[in-house]
Amino acid sequence: MRANVFLIGWAWLAVFLVAGAKAQTETGLLEGPPPAVAAAAPERAVVQILVSSQVPVYDAPWRSHPIRRSTGTGFVIEGGRILTNAHVIAWAKQILIRRYQDPRLVPARVVFAGHDCDLALIEPLDPRDLEGVKALEFGELPAVQSTVVTCGYPAGGDQMSFTRGVVSRIEVQPYAHPGNRALLAVQTDAAINPGNSGGPVFQGDKVVGVAFQGMPGLQNAGFFIPPEVVMHFLDDVKDGRYDGFPMAGVSFEQLQNPAYRRLLGLADDGRGARVDNLRADGPAARVLRPDDVLLEAGGFPVGSDGMIPYFGNRVAASVAFHRPQAGQALPLKIWRDGAELDVEVTMEAYDGDRLAGRQHDVLPRYFIHAGLVFTSLSQSYLDTVGVLGRDRVWEGWARLLHTLHHLPAEDPAAARPEPVVLAGILPHAVNADIGVRGRALIHRINGVRIERLEDVRRAFAEHAGTHHLLEFVGHEEGPLEALDRAKAAAAHAEILRNYSIVSDHRL
Amino acid sequence: MHFFRHAFLRVVLTVSALGFVASAAAPAARAQLLARPGWERSLVNIEVTFKLYDAFQPWNEPTRAIRKHGVVVAPGEVLTTAQYLPAHTLVRLQKGGRGRWYDARVKWWDAQSNLALLETADAAFWEGLAPAPLARNVSRGPDFELVRWRDGNLETRRVEFGKFTVSEGALGFAPHVQLEVSSDLPGLGWTELIVRDGAIHGLTTYSSGRVCGALPAGFVRRVLDAYRAGDYAGLGYFDFTWQPGSNPELLKALGLEGAPRGGVVHAPGRESDAARSPRPRDIILEVGGFAVDVEGDYLDPDYGHLMLENLANRARFAGATIPIKVWREGRELTLDYVVPRADFADERVPREVFDGAPKYLVAGGLVFQPLAQPFLRGWGDEWRKFAPFRLQYTQFEKARDARKSLVVLSGVLPDTINLGYQEAAMLVVDKVNGREIATLADLAEALRAPSPEGGVHRVEFMPGRGLQRVVLDAATLESATKRVVEFYGLPAAERL
Repeated sequence: MRANVFLIGWAWLAVFLVAGAKAQTETGLLEGPPPAVAAAAPERAVVQILVSSQVPVYDAPWRSHPIRRSTGTGFVIEGGRILTNAHVIAWAKQILIRRYQDPRLVPARVVFAGHDCDLALIEPLDPRDLEGVKALEFGELPAVQSTVVTCGYPAGGDQMSFTRGVVSRIEVQPYAHPGNRALLAVQTDAAINPGNSGGPVFQGDKVVGVAFQGMPGLQNAGFFIPPEVVMHFLDDVKDGRYDGFPMAGVSFEQLQNPAYRRLLGLADDGRGARVDNLRADGPAARVLRPDDVLLEAGGFPVGSDGMIPYFGNRVAASVAFHRPQAGQALPLKIWRDGAELDVEVTMEAYDGDRLAGRQHDVLPRYFIHAGLVFTSLSQSYLDTVGVLGRDRVWEGWARLLHTLHHLPAEDPAAARPEPVVLAGILPHAVNADIGVRGRALIHRINGVRIERLEDVRRAFAEHAGTHHLLEFVGHEEGPLEALDRAKAAAAHAEILRNYSIVSDHRL
Repeated sequence: MHFFRHAFLRVVLTVSALGFVASAAAPAARAQLLARPGWERSLVNIEVTFKLYDAFQPWNEPTRAIRKHGVVVAPGEVLTTAQYLPAHTLVRLQKGGRGRWYDARVKWWDAQSNLALLETADAAFWEGLAPAPLARNVSRGPDFELVRWRDGNLETRRVEFGKFTVSEGALGFAPHVQLEVSSDLPGLGWTELIVRDGAIHGLTTYSSGRVCGALPAGFVRRVLDAYRAGDYAGLGYFDFTWQPGSNPELLKALGLEGAPRGGVVHAPGRESDAARSPRPRDIILEVGGFAVDVEGDYLDPDYGHLMLENLANRARFAGATIPIKVWREGRELTLDYVVPRADFADERVPREVFDGAPKYLVAGGLVFQPLAQPFLRGWGDEWRKFAPFRLQYTQFEKARDARKSLVVLSGVLPDTINLGYQEAAMLVVDKVNGREIATLADLAEALRAPSPEGGVHRVEFMPGRGLQRVVLDAATLESATKRVVEFYGLPAAERL
């Protein structure tokens, strides 16, 4: 699913501040009958965001890709801040905003970025730059079939664009920006195109969502982030820190099979979803057991299809788990051993799978020794590894993918908190004979099991033998390689100089 | 004489008709063509009809037919490659490139060597045919001729020697010597003959771009001789994993004295006797008396530098004892390594399955199959891209337990008994009613539990991110299975 979702607003478009064709403007540059949306002139709170960003090179982590320019949309909310998508401002080196009908470029900065929910708050460096702008207000979750209007600066023109459509459906969708999170999202047939990202979706004069992604292959289908996700983000940052959406660490399965219901002592009444799997270190595992049946979550009755009724919709029960903030308790009613039981799960933000998602704003960690470049295995690193059809190449890629995405759930004891890869080798006489040239998982160095990058540094630093011995992960025991310890130490600085690397580590 | 002239005419006509530039042939080459033995008296067409594997409905058995070549190598014997023969339903022979087809029988086939012998009881087929010799001397060309039947005419085209190499066969995983030739001809790999000086130097097995691979005559002759002598035990292989010793610092780190040499073992074998096998961090110095260089190659007196893997079958085949000299813990040691037989059945997720029709078991609409690569290939030519990743990766991961094979829930035939499980699929079975499952027979046995706990059969899948368990009503399972079999038109509920 992740691969099928694309982000909007990732290409630089030469967009200029131009009034909407029929909009009544503050400056009166254009005349004409005011449309409904212009009654309160909400578009005056909508800004274009111009971003210059620089993404690191994950297989050469001391380097960065060339500056990339992109545009997105944002809007002013209460408190003098601008809400937009996290993917609009990710890796930003410079953020400029253009107010509606204003020729000036206003420098801005990121205040909070919630990459898990693809939302961010930015603000102008000078708060006076938003003076006179009336903040937009949020409405409720729009009803399916109701009409919404998107507003932003999409591709295909220079002026602010408005599109109208209906709410097609509301359900949990994968969020493409983090890559490993799924939250409530609203699908609409209103056109949402590159550049719309971060723009408000209106119903009347209220914001009922933030446009954020589309899905290739689906025609007339764009997605926006609903008010509850936005409000969760805004509530989260009130204490000056963003914790993120909590993760209970539990997966539910439908409980529609008559034999399974009978086994668990449940009537065939359509109630309850079965606890199928629990993450060992998750908060739910401290309260729930496999084959417990979730009857209610946060006051929402849970059906045997694993769904809850949610303001006229039927959505995955996970939505109830996303409503509390980290640290808050979620009341559950469960069925266990033939009886109902009220329990609470104290929700926790979870970043144990941070590396399994796409990385944002935090430069990749690395360690270099004698030209051997070690870095963390992450989805962003994995994206640099091509997949070819030949078994041997496929096997190497598959080992990385399995280690990152499957092993933690399948065998937590064998999983490493920060799998380390030999990303590449900076050629030098001291390492030229090493056969493993990169994209290989490190098992041990000098007998030290590598759980994280700090172990690599320690394994090299504390070794007193004549050679450093590296063991890679393989089908069984993996390949071995060695470096002459003294020669490696002697060559290290020269290699850094040769390749213009300022620091041999970022840890 | 008449025969040879006729043959020449055929070649010229065929080439001309296909628009190829035949006139470039030098007079000397033409003279050689005239002097060529009559390959049309030995080269025959083979038509094979074989069953395909319907991965998603293994009870279906669609068929396909292909044509390839064979060559008469002995009275009453046609030699060909084993490709397409393992699941054959009909094999026919045709001589002279056209005309009548003769029913044939597969006398012998061997996946690892990719060789087969065919015969027919129809005496008329053998009339006018004569055995062709397999070359006794290894030739490096530089030129060979490739001979094939094409549109009823014998086509003979020049191909260039490429190299001898060692790789897995088209049907097997035991590495052995292969001949590579270069050619611009399209559509090769259907057991065309690579010939020179009136003898067969190779049987083609594949082509990729300009490279065409062939089984060298010397390899073919050794396997056939062993088979005819009744002592062919199948190809063997080295079951330990090694890497080239091309990093001298690694050899030093492992304590090797003297000049860099040998290959470094990094994983032990699973089939051979551990006490007589190389183990991790051993350096392989010699195999069967041949010194191993840092590339992992040895100097073969016939073929030149070849990868040491070829030594598993160079002198004898599976079961042979080969001395392997290793460097271990500061000294040389000679191991009497017994070469294990290459057999896909020993693989946890076999790359090929040749033992009959695909197995399956349907229980209450849940369809179970052995997990094997033919199943994964059910996703088509780009199966590496489209087949479920987690199933594919079972071929590459270190087994967490001792089970020798795996069973997968491949899908569900919807029925009331499996209500709620319609989307369950591509899950590897861990246990059924508490019993560990490695085979469909295990599964069938587990489901025969007379009174399972709670009145349900509990099917548990391997730990991971997917569904972990389902249950089936035990009291109605048998009747439900019968209902499913009838409703979906299955020939039987199981084929174990």
